[in-house]
Formats: sequence, structure tokens, C-alpha cells
Amino acid sequence: MDPVSRAHVYVVIPAYNEGPVISRVVLEVRRAGYAVVVVDDGSSDATADHAGAAGATVIAHPFNLGQGAALQTGIDYALVQGAQCIVTFDADGQHRVSDISRLIESLVRERADFALGSRFLGQAPNLPLLRRLMLQAATAFSRLTTGLQVTDTHNGLRAMTRRGAAAIKLRQNRMAHASEYLSQIARSGLRYVEQPVTIEYTAYSLAKGQKVGDAVLILLDLFARRLYR
Amino acid sequence: MIAQLILSTLLAAILLYAWTEYRRSPAVAILTVLVATAGLYFVWVPEHSTRLAELVGIGRGVDLMLYIWVCLSLIVLLNLHLKLRTQMELITTLAREIAIAAAKPPKD
Repeated sequence: MDPVSRAHVYVVIPAYNEGPVISRVVLEVRRAGYAVVVVDDGSSDATADHAGAAGATVIAHPFNLGQGAALQTGIDYALVQGAQCIVTFDADGQHRVSDISRLIESLVRERADFALGSRFLGQAPNLPLLRRLMLQAATAFSRLTTGLQVTDTHNGLRAMTRRGAAAIKLRQNRMAHASEYLSQIARSGLRYVEQPVTIEYTAYSLAKGQKVGDAVLILLDLFARRLYR
Repeated sequence: MIAQLILSTLLAAILLYAWTEYRRSPAVAILTVLVATAGLYFVWVPEHSTRLAELVGIGRGVDLMLYIWVCLSLIVLLNLHLKLRTQMELITTLAREIAIAAAKPPKD
């Protein structure tokens, strides 16, 4: 990918009941010069209003569909708007805006179509031990099933070129989308790189994050998806 | 003989259903064909069901039939679940189109 201006970089933020933090996250990303798309996934609080007031384009799902569905909605919208580069970013404030430019630089430098953030190549202060083990098990599973030698599979901070984004069609609405995303990268044959990023866990993000029991649901979702066309 | 004919008709209908489902879910269709074919076989050769039941440690042929019936019910449940997932994907596509059409750009 050739270097692009920040106005052509769309940062897609899926959000579900993120009222307390969404304004700060949107303002920080906007301040860096990127276009921001918040996909409000059927929130019952004022997430959409806060995001709009902070300067984001807001797309509101009529009801809750799941993070995977929200990401795909944001990607579709950004492509229609002519985005040259699309970044996915969490709404709970655990990602650093400064990592976005590093991801995009690695796309340009490595001539890749996907730049995947990795907290295990970078830093993840306050990452609880149980969650670390869960993420490492998920990484081992993804390596086995996709053949991609990644170090962090469930990291919501990623960048992709327009061509890369067009190759992604997430059908896993809920949590299994992260594994599906990697499978589709592998199937596309497009080049990917990993980039160290920092994930800052807070009490808020930990309370909203995935639980150990979710891993079972993810496995069931991935299995069920293989049983039909 | 009457019972055999009725059961055969029902199982043949299940086989027909499996054939119509093959395009959408080959795994479910193949499972259904296997179980329904086993059912057809035992309807016409019931003494083999007792022999097979003894072989696998169930004891009575009628119990083996019961277990095959339970398997068929579970396959039907799985198929319904997969159909619900397909429906959800269609609903998602529709909801996405509506949401994108009503996107609110920033005010500045």
C-alpha cells in the first residue's frame, strides 16, 4: 500500500453500551486526524449520542447483533466511503491511538494487506494470569486451524488495506469473529504482518471483556459454522 | 407387515428430506441418511437389530431402535439450530443495510 493521508484512514469502533468511555475514545482518535465510524450495536444507553457529539459517523444497528456483525458493518460502510485503509479499534479505551500509525506504517513498509496488533510482542500491563492463559490457548488453536503463525489472535486492534478489507466477510456475528478473521486472511493468500501494540487493561475493560466460559461458545460457533454453507 | 410398510414410508420420507437438505448442510444430510438407512434395514430384518444390540451391549433390539430414534431427534435439533443460524445471517444482512442507509455523519 502507498502512504495514505489520515483522512482516508477509517477507524471502525464497534460499541455496545460504552456510554461512559466512548466520547473520550472518539475524541482521541479524531484528534489524531482519522475518520471515525462508531457502530452502535443496539446499545440501551446513550452510546450513539455521545459518539456523534464527539465527531464520529454513527451507524446504529436496530438491535444487538454482536461485535463481529458490528465490525463487518463498519468495514462495509468504510469501503463504500472510499477508505484506503481501515483500522478496527475497541471502544472500551484499552487501545492506544499512537499504535494506529504504527500499524499503518507497517502496512506500507512491508507491502502487506493486514497488520495485526499483538500484545504479546508489545505490552499488556495488568493482564490477569487467567486471561493470559486463555488468550495463549486461543492463539495455539488459531495457529493450528489457520496455519498463520500469529502470536495474538483475539486482538481487536488491526489495520487493513482496501484490498484486504474487501477480502473479509465476517459471518460470525459474535465472539468467534476473531478466529474467522484469521481464517479469511489465510484463505485470501494476502500478506499479513504483526505489529507490537500496547493493551491497557482497566477495571472497566476487564469487566466488559471476554470470560473463560466464552471460549466454549466460540468453539461451538466455529464448529457449527462448518456444518452448513 | 402393515407396521413395516408404514415405518418404511416414514423413513423413505426422511431420506427424501435428507436429499433436499444436502445442498444447505451436507453433514446433516449424510448423518440423516445413515441413521434412516439403518432404521430401514432393521425394520425389514428385525432379528439383526437384536443381534447387533447384543453385540454392542444394549441387550434388546427394541432398545437399539429407541437409541436410533433419539439420534434422529438430535439430528433434527441440530438441523433446526443450523437453520436458525442461516436465518440470523439473513437478518444481519438486512439490519446492516438498514443501518448503513441511516448512517449519521459527523456534524462538523
